[in-house]
Amino acid sequence: MGKIAVLTNDLQGDVVYLTPERTAVIADAQPHYTAFLDEMRRRGHTVYHLQLINLPDDPNANRKADGTLPLQRGTEGAEILPAFLADGDVVVEKNKDSGFYETEMHDLLQAAGVDTVVVTGLQTQICVQTTAADAFFRGYNVWVPSDCVVSDNPADRDRSLTWLSGYCATVADSSEILETLDSKGELPRRVVKTLP
Amino acid sequence: MASSVTGPDEVVLDHGSGAKLSHELVSLIVDTLGDVYIGEMEDSAMLSIPAGRIAMTTDSFVVDPPFFGNGDIGKIAVCGTVNDLAVVGARPLYLTLGMILETGLPITRLLQVVTSIREASLEAGVRIVCGDTKVVRKGEVDQIYLNTAGLGVFERAPLRMRDVRPGDRVILSGSIGNHTVHLLSIREGLGFEQRVLSDCAPLNGMLDELLATTGEGPVHSVRDVTRGGLAAVLHEYAQATGLTIRVDRARLPIQFETVMATDMLGINAIHAANEGCLCLFVAPEAEQEVLAALRSHRYGGEAVAIGEVTAAAEPVVLMRDGDGRDSVIEELQGSELPRLC
Repeated sequence: MGKIAVLTNDLQGDVVYLTPERTAVIADAQPHYTAFLDEMRRRGHTVYHLQLINLPDDPNANRKADGTLPLQRGTEGAEILPAFLADGDVVVEKNKDSGFYETEMHDLLQAAGVDTVVVTGLQTQICVQTTAADAFFRGYNVWVPSDCVVSDNPADRDRSLTWLSGYCATVADSSEILETLDSKGELPRRVVKTLP
Repeated sequence: MASSVTGPDEVVLDHGSGAKLSHELVSLIVDTLGDVYIGEMEDSAMLSIPAGRIAMTTDSFVVDPPFFGNGDIGKIAVCGTVNDLAVVGARPLYLTLGMILETGLPITRLLQVVTSIREASLEAGVRIVCGDTKVVRKGEVDQIYLNTAGLGVFERAPLRMRDVRPGDRVILSGSIGNHTVHLLSIREGLGFEQRVLSDCAPLNGMLDELLATTGEGPVHSVRDVTRGGLAAVLHEYAQATGLTIRVDRARLPIQFETVMATDMLGINAIHAANEGCLCLFVAPEAEQEVLAALRSHRYGGEAVAIGEVTAAAEPVVLMRDGDGRDSVIEELQGSELPRLC
């Protein structure tokens, strides 16, 4: 049986504090989100934080209204928020939406013997969704805790969770995931229905 | 092929000045093209072509990103123009090659594009007969834009939209949507780029083999499915013929991962651009022969009949769902997906 890893997406000041709506939804999620991370750490599962860094020459990177580029390497806004960090966590830089796109993520997980990933963070319909899809394509068993992913617009999150559940992931809330681990000792791989 | 770089290792404005650096850059391009380039460095190419009807076409290429997983802008620039010539029934012979380069483009990247142009030209059996290179300042283009014009000759009757008849079967030579998904995935790092590849390919060889098999007649008209996707092609034919075209949703060849991606992105694969897919209108009695011929070719393995031209004298495109209900496919007013070719 392979190991389980928890992946977070974009828990960084420049992302979380971009809009009041986003700041509010993260604040709402933070208590149970951090509790879930703590519990997974306590059970011996490593947390990998995907840190979005915009490359200066990326024409598709979102700029601020004043034209400056957020999420620059080494800046405070690019750091993982301390509330979500703990000793033993691993920070992995990414430069695009998927946490596997030209990053160390897959190699690190393979080296650690991981075959199951629990994908969390924001925004659900962008980085979470693409990271989960990419993990699925790479053969990982993908789980998404519905209460540990957020979007500015709840409708976007719901639509994304429907997509994830329909194509490539098991969606459950964090307490269900922990209960499943308690009862089965693992997170079972779902049989994905493929379209004709 | 020679590829040595003795000047700057990236494109500078003087590469477009017409002076010494320009000549050096042109020489490097010509050396890289090798025997694919048959120009004589005169102000115009002077060509011998068989007497009779010729086909000409031109296209510009601004694809973003210019370098992608299984191709680049150079490959697209050859395939796009070659395919435009081939689908009207012409044999592609010659291409022109215009380049607009951004200062700062690494020479190695430029030569990568030129090498792709050479390889695609060799596969398509065309030669580059003349070219032009311009250099602009940083930010005035995105790395590299290309233009190719093509000349072909007719060795058989032209294939025209006006020859499409009620009852004709509509056949696709391959899956739709992959080129769009591949490029969008690379732009944003969506995770699909290794599972879904661009279909960019020169299709004149496949079409040649098909027409050699069926002879003239059963294949009435052909289009390559590029910008605007399958929907744009079908609307073009509906308007040109004044007839209703109906396709069957369940038969549309769409790769599973492409279904996932288009669903994620909120786009419809029938509107997605392709670079290596033909839409053929063929006599009903030739359907199986055409399918067999296409499927025997490396670029036609997924060929499938998707619908037919009806006798209804109303220029609309219908999609039939699994319950037998028809819905109208509206023509898009514009596209939210720029720079796919």
